[in-house]
Amino acid sequence: MYELFEHTADLGLRVRAADLDTVFAEAAECLFSAILEDVRSVRPAQEVRIEIAGSNLEYLLFDWLRELLLKFDEEHLVFGKFAVTVRDDGITGTAWGEPHDPGRHPLAHEVKAITYHELKVVPGADGWLAEVIVDI
Amino acid sequence: MSKGKPEFAGPLEPVGGCCYRIPRDYKPGMRVDGLIFANEKLLESIRKDQAPEQVANVAMLPGIQKASLAMPDIHWGYGFCIGGVCATDPDEGGVISPGGVGYDINCGVRLVKTNLFLDEVRPYIRQLVKELFHTIPSGAGRGGRYRFDAGETRRLMGEGPRFVIARDLGVPEDLAHTESHGLIPGGDPDQVSDHAVRRGAEQCGTLGSGNHFLEVQVVDAVFDADVAQVFGLELNQVCVMIHSGSRGLGYQVCDDALAVFRNCPEKYKIELADRQLACAPVESPEGRRYIAAMRAAANFGFCNRQLLMQQAREVFARVFGRSWQDLGMELLYDVAHNIAKLEEHTIDGVTKKVWVHRKGATRAFPAGHPEVPEAFRSVGQPVIIPGDMGRASWVLVGSAGSMQKSFGSTCHGAGRAMSRTAAKLDAHGRRIERELEHRGVIAMAASRSGLAEEQPKAYKNVDDVVDVVHEADLSRKVARMRPIGVIKG
Repeated sequence: MYELFEHTADLGLRVRAADLDTVFAEAAECLFSAILEDVRSVRPAQEVRIEIAGSNLEYLLFDWLRELLLKFDEEHLVFGKFAVTVRDDGITGTAWGEPHDPGRHPLAHEVKAITYHELKVVPGADGWLAEVIVDI
Repeated sequence: MSKGKPEFAGPLEPVGGCCYRIPRDYKPGMRVDGLIFANEKLLESIRKDQAPEQVANVAMLPGIQKASLAMPDIHWGYGFCIGGVCATDPDEGGVISPGGVGYDINCGVRLVKTNLFLDEVRPYIRQLVKELFHTIPSGAGRGGRYRFDAGETRRLMGEGPRFVIARDLGVPEDLAHTESHGLIPGGDPDQVSDHAVRRGAEQCGTLGSGNHFLEVQVVDAVFDADVAQVFGLELNQVCVMIHSGSRGLGYQVCDDALAVFRNCPEKYKIELADRQLACAPVESPEGRRYIAAMRAAANFGFCNRQLLMQQAREVFARVFGRSWQDLGMELLYDVAHNIAKLEEHTIDGVTKKVWVHRKGATRAFPAGHPEVPEAFRSVGQPVIIPGDMGRASWVLVGSAGSMQKSFGSTCHGAGRAMSRTAAKLDAHGRRIERELEHRGVIAMAASRSGLAEEQPKAYKNVDDVVDVVHEADLSRKVARMRPIGVIKG
């Protein structure tokens, strides 16, 4: 389950899920729900795989979202479906999407960057909670 | 939807001169006081988020001089508050902080004059806004009409607007009226990553989204006739204000630097109150590399605003059937409000070079300062302050008080009063463009969210902010500008 929350001039992404794999996948979907007016408009035509090494969960989440934002900004790809495997020494993420088509994928926000501010990935009562604030 | 941050409960002691102090003993680790320029009215909203706490956090940075400062348009930011100013001395282990500049390196504003008056423009305003909107790329995403390859993008960073002016996209006089002549020395395009170059290559000459805009404005009131005359401004004159920065290129330079700076606090034994304040000594490999890349990105930002201006000039020429030169479309001035610069300041009687971080603050050098363009040196540097799209923006002039009190700095805008989500919720079911039209403003925006999140109500009243910097003598009122046409991302 994910939602956007308010944060002065910017936007926060908040995800609650039973396991870390789902937290990472839903955080990515939440990011694209901030970028696009409708994340469900994206067809899973193309697959992109992203490997990130590291053990700090917060930095792994940060780097995963940062890589996806770069794919959007540099290669103009948008994504709507994600799967992630979180291991002790890194993550393997897969994103499904297609080239950005302004006609079918109206943009909602220009996300400038993922930020470190109050970045958290913490265990909660029913699994995990992640929060990331993105700069608009 | 969650609530925002709790209110700031710490001390804000009035010390006179529109200034409130967070004393050094408020928090362990503070090296200097925090000082916020405000009045009682603004203070109420300033307390509403944790921005004052951020002023206190910045006071902990190694090498910080005099005080951690904030302008009256202060609001919460990443690490540093927006509206924050701090100066660090490299000889005292002073640091450079990407968070003290912000993601949008050299976000700034320029004001372009015309010799047209309100009555001449009013019949064409709808057509003008439409043409501006269709000509100037705005909104999230890409697609500028100017395409630069990687090599040319690096030249934009190395040479600044000079590079595009050599291709007839402007005139040499534009450079004289751009902060630092549009070229900050020491910028090294080779320190900018390929990722950043790719993000920026197609975005030079595009407005972007968020609070960026291009507005057709009219001089609504003149407060200092002598200075207005030197600036070439008079009542009812039409001008164009452009607010944008270094686009994706700058965001990526900041992002790249923050990744490198992750380990710096530990490496250089710097204690930080917030990860987003990551910094490194100016005299360190990481610090030097960031400075070279940040300056290069700033030069790119000047190029972006140059090309935005040039497109606006072409639209005016088309709509009014006269060349932009005939329409008197001279650049009044271009200021950066997200930047760090090495400047000479006198601190406790000693003149030295310090790194002035301005994150949402504008340089405001007074009359006689050698860096003020010759045409304005007798009165001071023009300061351009964008407000919200329904009320007003301002032209101020740098004042002597800024050199004594704020490292030659003043405010940069209105400052947000509502979060984006709150503003969007508030706008639900309303037609913002209709409301603006009732106020005499024709607005077009690239996204549905844009107008809602940027509605006038989402901002503090810029007049209140300007009152404070005027009274504190950081900069003085010259002219109030009223929008009549707006294009937004």
